[in-house]
Amino acid sequence: MYNINPEHAIGLIGGFVALIIALATLRLHPRWRSVPGTVRAASVLMVVTAGVHLALIPHHLAHEPLTSLLFLLNGAAFIALAVAFTWRHWRLVAAGLLVATVLGYLLYVGIGLEGPDQVGIATKLIEVTALGLALVPVRGEPRRTHRSWRWAGLGVAMPLLIVMTGATVWIVDLARPDARHVHAGALLQSTNTVPTPAQVDAASRLYHETKAAIQPYEDWHLAWAAGYRPGNSTNMPSTHWMNQRYVDAGYVMDPKRPQGLVYANTHHGPVLLGAMFQMKGINQFGPDPGGPLTAWHQHENICITPFGFEFSLMTPFGNCALGAIDISVSPMLHVWIVDNPQGGPFAVDIAPSVVAALDRT
Amino acid sequence: MATNDAGRAQIADFNQTSRPEGAFVLLLLQSIFWAVAGLSALPFGLAGELHMAALGLVTLMFALVTCLVGIGVLWRRRWARRVAMTLEVLCVIGSALQLLFPIGANRGPVALLVDVALPVAVVCLLWGKKTRSLFS
Repeated sequence: MYNINPEHAIGLIGGFVALIIALATLRLHPRWRSVPGTVRAASVLMVVTAGVHLALIPHHLAHEPLTSLLFLLNGAAFIALAVAFTWRHWRLVAAGLLVATVLGYLLYVGIGLEGPDQVGIATKLIEVTALGLALVPVRGEPRRTHRSWRWAGLGVAMPLLIVMTGATVWIVDLARPDARHVHAGALLQSTNTVPTPAQVDAASRLYHETKAAIQPYEDWHLAWAAGYRPGNSTNMPSTHWMNQRYVDAGYVMDPKRPQGLVYANTHHGPVLLGAMFQMKGINQFGPDPGGPLTAWHQHENICITPFGFEFSLMTPFGNCALGAIDISVSPMLHVWIVDNPQGGPFAVDIAPSVVAALDRT
Repeated sequence: MATNDAGRAQIADFNQTSRPEGAFVLLLLQSIFWAVAGLSALPFGLAGELHMAALGLVTLMFALVTCLVGIGVLWRRRWARRVAMTLEVLCVIGSALQLLFPIGANRGPVALLVDVALPVAVVCLLWGKKTRSLFS
């Protein structure tokens, strides 16, 4: 949902071209100046969304003719409405079409006919904005019709559509991640699908070398003496301890100098779970000796706050909570030295049951 | 001729007065985005991230304030215009810093629309002497 589907990128161009055309041509309408600026802005935004839908037709035509037809009808209806802003029932019909278009997209995303991406979400935001502008009553309107209904529609439809869009996109993204997204916010390194025997050997070697090298750090005091410090809250089930010196030095997958250690926060103190190698730069995935077994991952679009170094996830609308900033963390590879039944020794995460079991012992 | 002049004057006034309503729609939209951000941070409190939960609550309060500022703009209150413009300028500065620094912030069209285009549009709508004169 944070990326642009390459096949949909043409929609952005279509929307941008439509914006220029709308700004240049709609003002030629003889009654352009006779309606409020909010109505004019809504008309321009409807042309933009029409441009996005029409631009997507060629891509969908071969495999999804019905979707292409819907895009065509939708685009044509929006253009017709954009120039018919003086029509008596304009607001009602425009609001109906905008709501139907947003709900139609959510249905498509919900049942898996479409993957949520930036083009789709941006278009829905434009449509909800157009809806608000079309409905909002303006002071000094010549025809003061249905003002209370319009206020009610604005107050209910806008929040509801935004929340529904955010929730649907988020749920679908978490429930049906693509092959390279193993969990929220983690992008896997691209590798071959089945490991070769040489890759299995290399992964095994990396595991044993790392396990032997970090074994002394089972005593967290030694880790502290070596320069490792808790990187986030110790109230959580596990904590990454980072060695800033090793991070700055940029050692690449050196078993003797991993950038981080992961400890379970048990009632009897920190228990070592494994090591974490980290690359210095964003989007620079490290060497991958084990192929799919040792794929690195990069956390993207996470919201981090300096207060206690805690994190949350960025919303589909590109927002973080106040006081948190959106960042991506450079690629990392975990080596779990405890048995990790879900995913094995190089998995992105340790199974919560493993941490819970350690706490019970 | 006199009728045409009167008509033009009425239309000019009418065009000007719809700016606060446009700004209100955008501020309402922004407050909903903040509310979603606040709500999405709260569950992390259950996982022990107490600061993040607190920030979530602060963000929800901020969303409420943004909505009230939007209503103030709609009612042509001078304080609301001032607060809205200050708020949006701060948003643009914060977003620009986040986008310019190499921290891997998302630079997709949604983030640009929400974090840059929307605040800029509110500032543009409320900018200018004529618009300021509408606010009591």
